[in-house]
Amino acid sequence: MSDLGFALQLMGIGMITVFIILSLVVLLGNLIIRFVNKYLPEEISHKVQQVAVQTGNFNRKKIAAIVSAVKIVTEGKGHVTKIEKM
Amino acid sequence: MSIIEKLYHMTAIQDIINGPGTLLMLAIGALLLYLGIKKKYEPLLLIPIAFGLILANLPGGGMAVVPAEYVQIDEHHYKNLFEIAHDHGIMNFLYYSLIKTGFLPPIIFMGVGALTDFGPMLRNLRLAFFGAAAQIGIFSVLISAIALGFTPAEAASLGIIGGADGPTAIYTTIMLAPHLLGPIAIAAYSYMALVPVIVPLVSRLLCSEKELRINMKEMDKLYPAKQKIKNLKAVKIAFPIVLGIVISIFVPSSVPLLGMLLFGNLIKEVGVTVARLSDAATGSIMNTATIFLGLTVGATMTSEVFLNSRTIMIIVGGFIAFAISIAGGILAVKVYNLVAKKKINPLIGATGLSAVPMASRVANEIAIKYDSKNHVLQYCMASNISGVIGSAVAAGVLISFLG
Repeated sequence: MSDLGFALQLMGIGMITVFIILSLVVLLGNLIIRFVNKYLPEEISHKVQQVAVQTGNFNRKKIAAIVSAVKIVTEGKGHVTKIEKM
Repeated sequence: MSIIEKLYHMTAIQDIINGPGTLLMLAIGALLLYLGIKKKYEPLLLIPIAFGLILANLPGGGMAVVPAEYVQIDEHHYKNLFEIAHDHGIMNFLYYSLIKTGFLPPIIFMGVGALTDFGPMLRNLRLAFFGAAAQIGIFSVLISAIALGFTPAEAASLGIIGGADGPTAIYTTIMLAPHLLGPIAIAAYSYMALVPVIVPLVSRLLCSEKELRINMKEMDKLYPAKQKIKNLKAVKIAFPIVLGIVISIFVPSSVPLLGMLLFGNLIKEVGVTVARLSDAATGSIMNTATIFLGLTVGATMTSEVFLNSRTIMIIVGGFIAFAISIAGGILAVKVYNLVAKKKINPLIGATGLSAVPMASRVANEIAIKYDSKNHVLQYCMASNISGVIGSAVAAGVLISFLG
């Protein structure tokens, strides 16, 4: 086979392989998300819920942001138990 | 008289007279230093490459990387590292131990992985397909380069510039055509630095204003995602492990790059427990690897190797590969938009080549110019990151068939 014919073949194989692998990325990503959603729902959302119950009418998204920020800043050691407006 | 003669021979003046190409190479080194320092074109890599080039071309300095034949004893035997250092100096020791073995690009990929966030891609998984379409430049230029007289291995090394991923381009070239390493590294990193010029150029040529105004957030409101991620951290930890195993089954030759990328990403996502590892991967290890990679790649560029018509063909071919890859991503989005209800801004396709995160930032700026509320960065990052995976897989295919 000529080099050019081989290159065309390589193009076909290469592009198909890349598409298959990225399809697998999509498939695996979706499967992992489904699995995690079903069996490992986020721990932080429980914490947000707990804090939200204690803090009444506070924006849930803001609570989630505060809880996440505290977790990152304290390297996972600190926890928000209650939020009060000053 | 004899003292003056000895003094004269001690200097490199006669060597410069004998090989004036050296002066041109020093000028190219100075130009690259200017681009890196003043224009800030990929300075982290361009400055070491440029200085390595200058060191290699200083006559009598003994810092140039010698061709493989110089370290080969017979068909299957090479000099050991001590002999290489003794016979050809420290730059060859570094080159043959760190580059020729293919050691440094995967190490840099580990750092890239530790700096990469798969979150945007996991939130917009369907956009990952455009990272595949944008690899078309690699294979298009492969065909053109063969037609122009390059061997298939050389053509593949040239084409991989279209992946817009420096470590991938260097790794593939080391494996397939190490004698072209210098010009290919320069072309790959120069075009990555020119992403702010090339992406807008190709986008404006191929996209209408209406298409560039497609607002992704509005589309998300009209057609919301079917499932939301309830524990992103767990998904991000599981993803590199599962993906690494699956890819190693399908394209094992891409594992040195992708395996290290995914390992780097895993230690980032695990978080505080291994923070020291991810700090090392993104800090001291990656910085050290970048210094040695740049210097040694620069040191391969002697006047005999660099100053020929092939270098010009590589520079031109690299640009075409880059442009075709961007166009491939854009056209894939256009085709998708023909059949889908939920339209996608073609700029997201344009970022399907790697060049993370610069391509996404540039695309975001273009989108904002047309609609100040249209922030597409997160969406572009999805195809951009998938482009990193795509180009590493394409490299794996090329190495499998041509290596």
